[in-house]
Amino acid sequence: MHDRLSRRSFIALSALGLGGFFALWALLAASALVPKLFLPSPVAVAERFAELTQQPFVGYTLQQHLLSSFGRFGAGFALAALIGVPLGLAMGWFRWLDGVVSPLFDALRFVAPIAWVPFAALWFGTGIGGPILIIFSGAFPPCVINAYRGAKYVEPRFVEAAQTLGASHWRMITEVLLPASVPSIVAGLRISAGLGWQSLVGAELIVASSGVGYLMVKGQSNISTATVMSGMVAIGIVGFAIDLLLRSLEARIHRKRGR
Amino acid sequence: MKTVGKALIGVLTGAAFGAQAQVAEIKVSYQPALYWALPFHVASEKGWWAEVGLKPVFSTFPAGVPQIAASASKSWDVGGTGSVPAVLGAVRYNLLTVGLTNDESVGNALLATGAKAAGFMNNPQSIRGQTIVLTANSTGDYAVQSCLAKWGLKKSDVTIKSMGQAEIISAMSSNNADLGGLWAPNIYTMEEKAGAKVICSGKDAGAIVPGALVVRADYAKEQPQNVAKFLAVYLRAWKWMSTHRAESVAMMKKFYEVGGVTISEASMNKEFDTRPVYDLAGQLKVMNRSGAGSDVDKWMTQIGEFMKAAGTMPEVPQASRYITDDFLKMVERDPKLKAFANQSN
Amino acid sequence: MTAGADRRFRLAIGTATVLALAAIWGVGSAGQWIAPIYFPPPGEVWTAFVQVAVQGYADGMLHQHFLHSCLLVLYGFVAAVAVGVPLGMLMGWSRRAEAILNPAFLLLRPIPPLAWIPLAIVWLGLGDAAKVLVIWFAAFVPSVINSYAGVRSIEPHLLEAARSLGIPRAMLLREVLFPGALPLVFTGLRLSLQACWTTLVAGELIGAITGLGHLLYQGGLDIYPAMILVGMVAVALAGGLMTALLTLLEARAMPWRGR
Repeated sequence: MHDRLSRRSFIALSALGLGGFFALWALLAASALVPKLFLPSPVAVAERFAELTQQPFVGYTLQQHLLSSFGRFGAGFALAALIGVPLGLAMGWFRWLDGVVSPLFDALRFVAPIAWVPFAALWFGTGIGGPILIIFSGAFPPCVINAYRGAKYVEPRFVEAAQTLGASHWRMITEVLLPASVPSIVAGLRISAGLGWQSLVGAELIVASSGVGYLMVKGQSNISTATVMSGMVAIGIVGFAIDLLLRSLEARIHRKRGR
Repeated sequence: MKTVGKALIGVLTGAAFGAQAQVAEIKVSYQPALYWALPFHVASEKGWWAEVGLKPVFSTFPAGVPQIAASASKSWDVGGTGSVPAVLGAVRYNLLTVGLTNDESVGNALLATGAKAAGFMNNPQSIRGQTIVLTANSTGDYAVQSCLAKWGLKKSDVTIKSMGQAEIISAMSSNNADLGGLWAPNIYTMEEKAGAKVICSGKDAGAIVPGALVVRADYAKEQPQNVAKFLAVYLRAWKWMSTHRAESVAMMKKFYEVGGVTISEASMNKEFDTRPVYDLAGQLKVMNRSGAGSDVDKWMTQIGEFMKAAGTMPEVPQASRYITDDFLKMVERDPKLKAFANQSN
Repeated sequence: MTAGADRRFRLAIGTATVLALAAIWGVGSAGQWIAPIYFPPPGEVWTAFVQVAVQGYADGMLHQHFLHSCLLVLYGFVAAVAVGVPLGMLMGWSRRAEAILNPAFLLLRPIPPLAWIPLAIVWLGLGDAAKVLVIWFAAFVPSVINSYAGVRSIEPHLLEAARSLGIPRAMLLREVLFPGALPLVFTGLRLSLQACWTTLVAGELIGAITGLGHLLYQGGLDIYPAMILVGMVAVALAGGLMTALLTLLEARAMPWRGR
């Protein structure tokens, strides 16, 4: 915005920045400043990463670990969206519900998803319910908050118009509030997916016997920092991909609405 | 609780093999890549579960505490775990200890980083004021506390930091901690890959650290015959391993690898050499209560006292409330099951 | 309805909800409908609270855990904000800076703060520094993103107008850029603070001696659900308290936005 830059020089500078990042990393790894055992070079990590996709580690290949993480994530995220969005919309419409839910919600927001780990173990044991609860507790708040805000700030004109036409509560929520809050809801889903994905890894770092988080713990107990960092890379790539997917959805919705 | 098995034994003796036609599902829990969990793997490879009419469904846990917690939701029926979690499970969820996995007194130890080990060993008093990293409420914790007691050190003489085994390995290998409580095979990982040394094991401190075979009380009441069969399969696997070392090591290698542990063959052999296991007769002997309580009662009560001192539980649970040899006796009394358990091929 | 009446309405309904839930909890536990092994009864939670507040638990009294955690969060938060806000603003201000820095930021961003734990231990040891690093990562990302968005949200006309008037750079920054970006910067700070608290629990898995995360961890190890609940409530309170302080600060920093 400020200093205008051609597309070409923007890309060149980006490449420069990226190259600088890896160069700095490689330099640090090559220097005696940090022992190699604890900061492997980018090349070593890339090699280990490739190896993990070929040979199973702790029972599975990297792809299989990712798949099992992703399954947990999908279930928890879907549940958060399915409960959170309708709840948020309803809270935006029914003031009493807002009053009932808000205080509980505000209190629970600060409790870390992984603080639920002991309860998840007690309530669900080895079942899939445990990880789902933890992901859910990470992904739920943004779903609710954004749906609520979306519904709350719908143009009062529309609401009034619908009211004079005698719309029922149900139609009011589904036909007036919901369409108007779609951009806000999608933005919420994006945040929610990011937080859910992060919580999952937290849960897997502590209790699980598969998944990328588990792979990292095992890499750690084998004093293999390259394995740990490969896990981080994999987590980063998937997290990035999820965000990209939702972002393109967001862009599409905005385009459709002619913004 | 004490009459759980007794009432049922009369009904079921001799019936254990009767229902072999139908296969009973049994949920078995353990911790991956541990020595005492190897028999589960061996029995599966050999098809021994099916021979007694059991179909195991396995679940694994990174440590004893989450394993115990999962028993609350009936996620598993039987399993192996450390003696410390077994006592915790007895107090919290009525878990019964029905046998021993092994004597892991050597497999739980206090380690020091290579550079500092000799100094600490020559002068244990220099440990005063140091920081020790360990996993609280574990057999490793118990071994470390026993070592401190042997040197006349109190818990308040050192700083204890509790964390998972993986974190301990990270901290010690990067020289961010000098002293750590670990259990095998993590001990071997530290020795081989980071040059750490054992400065005192549970055995050195004169403590017996057993591993426990545990059962949910409800399950024991409902399916006592399955518990007995489970024990028989477990015992047979050890019996077989005692006469097939080379094959056992090969299986251990595969089992450990799947559990994410890669240690040398020498260390694997060390596991076999330093951790005594019990066959049926041996189990019955250490659990025999005639006279002044059994050996197992004594060992577990000592662990209970350690946990009481740590503030984990207000009272030491009474051994007879949760330790029972009823199911081992069921195996003993059933000729077919007994022969099965003692088979070495 | 006036704002005051609305607030009273919400307060009344909120209080009623909390009381109703407490009643369900109490009656449910007394009547054994809520199994004590799955969820602790009120009596046990009170005992746990008294135990940690008076005798201490997990090597410290409740107020020690509380203070230590607040301090850790404060360190991590301040450090993250001190780096993140200027960086985000710089990226929003200069296309060149954005081109260079953004790729590396995009790479690091999707990695969950918890995934840094193994590396934090080997790099920084078991002291507070490692915990602060983990918290730092959690707070860093939202403060960068929102500061960036804050600068970008300033009307371009405003900047152009200011520039065409020949206003010196320093003044432009002080009079236009900072005030314009501030609302979104504060949104970012709130998110950062929340992320700090939800990450703290995990950060204190790194061999903490005192701290609420350590309290939760020890409660988990002892399978002591009542104590875990006390810890969760304490975390929620501490998080709420710090957010309230931030709100005060926000009102001070942006008096023109007073309602």
